Amino acid sequence: MIKTRILIVGGGISGLSIAYSLVKRGVNDIVIVEKSYLGSGSTGRCASGIRASFTSREHVVLMKHSIELWKKYAEGELGKHGLYYNQGGYVWLASREETAKTMERLVKLHNSLGVPTRIIGLDELKKLVPPIETKGVVSVLFDPTAGKSSPFSTIFAFYNLLRKKGVRIYLHTSVEEILHNNKRVYGAITSKGKIRAETIVVAAGASTRKLLEPLGVRVPLKNLPRHAMLTEAYREAFKPLVIDWDTPGVPYIVQMKSGSFLIARNIDEEPELSLYSQRIDFMPKAVKPLVRFFPWLRNTRIMRYWMGYYITTPDHHPIYGPVKGYENLYIATGFSGHGYMMAPVTGEVIAEWILNGKPSIDAAERLVLERFEKGALIKELAVVG
Amino acid sequence: MGGKRGHPVIVCRCRDVTLEDVEKAIEEGITDLETLKRRLNIGMGPCQGRTCIPLVASILARKLGKPVDELLIPKIRAPIIPVPINFLLKSVDAKGEERND
Repeated sequence: MIKTRILIVGGGISGLSIAYSLVKRGVNDIVIVEKSYLGSGSTGRCASGIRASFTSREHVVLMKHSIELWKKYAEGELGKHGLYYNQGGYVWLASREETAKTMERLVKLHNSLGVPTRIIGLDELKKLVPPIETKGVVSVLFDPTAGKSSPFSTIFAFYNLLRKKGVRIYLHTSVEEILHNNKRVYGAITSKGKIRAETIVVAAGASTRKLLEPLGVRVPLKNLPRHAMLTEAYREAFKPLVIDWDTPGVPYIVQMKSGSFLIARNIDEEPELSLYSQRIDFMPKAVKPLVRFFPWLRNTRIMRYWMGYYITTPDHHPIYGPVKGYENLYIATGFSGHGYMMAPVTGEVIAEWILNGKPSIDAAERLVLERFEKGALIKELAVVG
Repeated sequence: MGGKRGHPVIVCRCRDVTLEDVEKAIEEGITDLETLKRRLNIGMGPCQGRTCIPLVASILARKLGKPVDELLIPKIRAPIIPVPINFLLKSVDAKGEERND
């Protein structure tokens, strides 16, 4: 039987980052179990964008910390293992006057929370995104602190560093049952045997629901299907992630390190739809609105298309921290489409909950599961759109 | 296997992945093709794995002492061969909605 101080269920970016934050604090008696391959849930399927320009205090505060950590990690030991953060910014394009006004309000909100977004002119837009057609663009919001990264480079940087530090990572190992007794959890039955643990962290995406149901813990999560696709690789054309705000489903485009353009747009989908119910019609629907800004896209070719889930909570904010009724059980899930960018701060928040009894960022304290029972949902300071 | 070679042995032509890269990843404890694919970016270039996946599968099978057919082959993603966007756009109107004509 395997024994460990901390068992982390889920080998996605959140689980790996939690382990890293624990290791930084001197704890390396950790076991991570992943039911499939590393990052096989939402991590490896994400668009890799990173930003702090949100509309709730909680998101802004947490993401500002996260961006600081992304930069620090890229320059440190994780950077040597391949993690990087390309701070190319985010650009939102408005085609309607009302949207231009919304953008002005948002800039005020962001600036008041310490995120230096600003409205830029078309000449500056042209400098940031040289191959763009600006006809019909009435306003542009720019977030210079935002950026992009690579899910796989990040995951394997964490994986290799954690292994060096003695963290045990078991892939293709699923948790069948979480063992509990008298308001404490004490281990798990897995497909490869029993693990005894002093503390358990469940960072298993939407599977967290089923894992905790037998413990009487209700985790309100919905899997919302999302689609994305990549073109073949081309030489670097522009650095920012560009979002067409005024087209329904907000299409966006970002060039990856490999040179491929990642293109996505939200299309109506039923929650929980299988990740293999692919929609070929997504491809033209996502790219058509962007051709207006980038006519040359017509001559590029789509290479890969896949689906992933936004694992969504009722207030679109993560579930972080201890589970009421259990002394040694923690959750980190429900990032509602922002789990990759938040991962560094997720690690810090959960490590501090475990080791110090509470996180040093007070905005994170309100994100416990209990908030749904109490009706203390997180509020957006501005509704976008 | 192993030993110094005078030149790199290319396993994936889309992403310039060498035999040495594959062996190093297997030494990192990665023993399944889905994970190797993401560790090395193989199978995700324009050839969509036609060249590299069978090669990496045979390298991995040899390392593990297993027959190749016991390894699970990574999922295939649409559109299988790169499709020009110009061609895709023929099915939608200016807003990106489906055409009824």
